[in-house]
Amino acid sequence: MRSVPHPVAALAPTLSRRSFAFLTAGAVALGTAGCARDEGPDELEAPWAAARADAATAAAAAGASPDVATRLTPVAEARRAHADALGAEIRRARPDRAEALDAPPPATPPVADPVAALRTSLVAARDAASTLAVTTARYRAGLVASVAASCAGWAEALT
Amino acid sequence: MTSPLDPTATRDAAQGALGAEHAAIWCCGLASAFLPAEAAQPLADAALAHRQRRDALIALLEGAGQRATPAAAAYATPRPVTDAASAAALLVVAEDDVAVAWRAVLERTDDRDLRTTGVAAMTASATVGRRWRSLAGVTPEVPSLPGAAPTG
Repeated sequence: MRSVPHPVAALAPTLSRRSFAFLTAGAVALGTAGCARDEGPDELEAPWAAARADAATAAAAAGASPDVATRLTPVAEARRAHADALGAEIRRARPDRAEALDAPPPATPPVADPVAALRTSLVAARDAASTLAVTTARYRAGLVASVAASCAGWAEALT
Repeated sequence: MTSPLDPTATRDAAQGALGAEHAAIWCCGLASAFLPAEAAQPLADAALAHRQRRDALIALLEGAGQRATPAAAAYATPRPVTDAASAAALLVVAEDDVAVAWRAVLERTDDRDLRTTGVAAMTASATVGRRWRSLAGVTPEVPSLPGAAPTG
């Protein structure tokens, strides 16, 4: 576990130059993340699509094999919950992106070893969300970190 | 933009995370008397991680001129702890509380180091918590959104 090497920037009662830079960066991030007139996809669309794809893969594999259903059904439920939460936030912040969210999902290709494939996908989702949780706007950081933590737990469960 | 409340909210959230880490350390100590031998090492590892985050938070708060909230002498457990399952259930509560407290910190700071520590704390809560959920018979073994306020 890492320590917190720069205590003053986060908690100092008066603004240091460093914390001012952070706060300014945060305001810019908030502006780009929260404005409905933004161009391009929302930064949550990639984790949302990954969660939806994992949910489909896990559900299809669970339906095809009772042996893996016990392991993969809760993974499908968790990834569906991630997709729902991320999708709700995208719709709230970016109504202009509803079309991307409402488009039919890509077909779920059959996977030879769905447990291994999902483990790999969950590790990637954990890492991507862990990175995004550090840089995204404050009001999104908690949600993204929750997704990262859940993916970390489920990746270990499939080990 | 920056609100005058922001630093206060950040400090309060950090104190909350410190309180959750204090409580988790205490719970690890209590649970150690009840858990099976094979859980001793994971429990020691979990307790060490909580102590390290506790120490980091104390340094953070004191560096900002704040008085770090001390640990309580003892904590009221939600349910009596009498065996391995109830001890593991207490650890589940402690880990979930840690995730809630750190999520609150994440939502109140732009500091990348503090955010990174918070993500690591929430991730550890979910991965360590798997073992305690299994011992306590709690499903699912990983919450879908660790640290999110229960929605009912």
